[in-house]
Amino acid sequence: MTTMLELSGLGKDYGERTAVAALDLTVTKGEILGLLGPNGAGKTTTISMASGVVTPTRGKVTIAGIDLAKQPRIAKAKLGLVPQDLALYEELSATQNLTFFAALYGIHGKLAAERVAWALGVVGLADRAKDTVKTYSGGMQRRLNIAAGLVHKPELLILDEPTVGVDPQSRNHIFETVRTLRDSGITVIYTSHYMEEVEALCDRVAIMDGGKIVALGTIAELVAKYAGKGVALEVTGDLDQAAAAARAHATVTRDGNVIRVEPTAGLAPVLAAIEATGVTIARIESRQATLETAFLALTGRGLRDVA
Amino acid sequence: MIGASILKEVWLLLRDRGRLISLFALPVVFMVVFGSMFKFGPDKGEPRPIGIWHEANDARGAAIETQLNATPGFVAKDFATPDALRHAVAHDDLAAGLIIPPDFDPAHGKLIELSIDEGAPIQARGPIEGAVIGTVMRALSPVAPRDMPQLVMPKTPPGIVNPLADVSAFQVTVPGNAVLFAFFISMAVAITFAHERHTGVWKRLLAAPVPRWQALVGKLVPYFLIAMVQLGFLFGLGAGAFGMKIAGSVVALTLLSAALSLCAVSFGLLVSSFGGTERQIGSTVPVLILVMGLLGGCMFPRMFMPAFMRQIGNAVPQSWALDGYYAVLVRQGTGVIDVAPQLIAITAFALGFTLLGLWRFKFER
Repeated sequence: MTTMLELSGLGKDYGERTAVAALDLTVTKGEILGLLGPNGAGKTTTISMASGVVTPTRGKVTIAGIDLAKQPRIAKAKLGLVPQDLALYEELSATQNLTFFAALYGIHGKLAAERVAWALGVVGLADRAKDTVKTYSGGMQRRLNIAAGLVHKPELLILDEPTVGVDPQSRNHIFETVRTLRDSGITVIYTSHYMEEVEALCDRVAIMDGGKIVALGTIAELVAKYAGKGVALEVTGDLDQAAAAARAHATVTRDGNVIRVEPTAGLAPVLAAIEATGVTIARIESRQATLETAFLALTGRGLRDVA
Repeated sequence: MIGASILKEVWLLLRDRGRLISLFALPVVFMVVFGSMFKFGPDKGEPRPIGIWHEANDARGAAIETQLNATPGFVAKDFATPDALRHAVAHDDLAAGLIIPPDFDPAHGKLIELSIDEGAPIQARGPIEGAVIGTVMRALSPVAPRDMPQLVMPKTPPGIVNPLADVSAFQVTVPGNAVLFAFFISMAVAITFAHERHTGVWKRLLAAPVPRWQALVGKLVPYFLIAMVQLGFLFGLGAGAFGMKIAGSVVALTLLSAALSLCAVSFGLLVSSFGGTERQIGSTVPVLILVMGLLGGCMFPRMFMPAFMRQIGNAVPQSWALDGYYAVLVRQGTGVIDVAPQLIAITAFALGFTLLGLWRFKFER
């Protein structure tokens, strides 16, 4: 399999603060890689370094075998970036926007007109090509934002939270667009806060936290490895005693007044052992194994935006 | 890339009414207002009336009145009573007036009264007072004025080219406002950087296969050209519609405009290197430009400023640009060599702004 993007020991420091530690990641041609992480995990810094927007403090970025630092013009020509913000000139029409962005990649004249028409067709905006962007709905602006990253037909497309603030119809259209692009051979890196988007789209997922990749694999692999299939027991009484009793028959973790157990040989011996300590079991809840539970297991439940 | 940037900035400019007004319409309004104030005022065409009262049979009073009417720039205006004259001066109907007492006798302290607001600034009062006193002295001289030998002869010193004979007010207001408003392009430059950083377009530029220096130059070149178009429009309008004359070389005028445009755009780069939001730039930069314009003599000629203010004015590029423009517009035969000091000074300012701006500019802010 061909490697489209390789990050080797990639890191970024801002003064004393390390935003990204030393990250290694390989993205294969034709795959959709989801990049997940709580706020401040280092996702945007990572994709900014991968796209040449931010200069790394250490490490190397290789795009389709080309070193980004040594041959930036050739490497960047293979890459399309769709920033999280609406990176468009809203006073200009869609055609004028895309014509300008195509020119940045040396695409002019008739070829530019063809590429603009193609990109607008991909995102379903061909009939609004002449309208100024400020007259577009939020969803249409998001789609045009993607088209601007596509107009030069990149081999690698990086989408930074492309569905923020869009309606379900536009979100669905963006999903379809991403799948179509993947089917046409374009490699996609997709960052999002929405687990269901990543579950629906991505072949593999990298979960970042604290400037590092803490898990990497297919969704099934991550769920199997980190989500667990245990049972949550809400109990009243001496929790430490109950947890100690349960440990003889299960893997146990504490979360407030909840004991999470993964039984080694059925749930009945666990419940009997807990009840034998005199603790009352108030509620039993079976845990659903999802990407979100894996994500929370890896990154914790604490708020990241609280100062 | 630079061609595409120019085209894009022109598209954006044509859709931005506010920027079009500040760059093209507002300076025209200022030019017309200031030019008209001076053109139709007492300093242009119409002589300034000086009130006079004397008794009907007073020969000396009649001589003074005759001499006043013979003095360029003055016309005598008769009053029926001294109090009527004083009332007119007190109510700003007149700048000054002469009351010749019937018993006028300077040897015994009986003097002619010059009715004038002694609280007026010396810059406004002095020339009138001096000229009126001179007129009275000539009128009362035992030698007839026409028989007086010429004592003083105005002469332009070597090193200064002769000015045009008839200098219109627009010779002053067109370059003054052109220089003042040329610097508004720096605000447009700073705002476009702030806007592109805010929207993420700057990220797209950095992610594109374009060297960073080219991304920067690609943003500045369109504004340099817009500034040149702005100056061309304002001077063209001044010459075509307001009768402004170009006494010197058009090449020198063009070079001055190019240097000024470069300076204004590089000042925009410097401003943008400090960061800040569009709102912050919009609220601070105009104040900065107006203060620089004021010090540079764009709104009030530097020749009327005190010496220390003129010295301070040398610290802003506007004053050098105006000196250069005045020379080219007013002094016949002024060429590129004559305005070389101004060209060098403006270019040095541009270089300073650019180096400081580049030193501070953060691509990855």
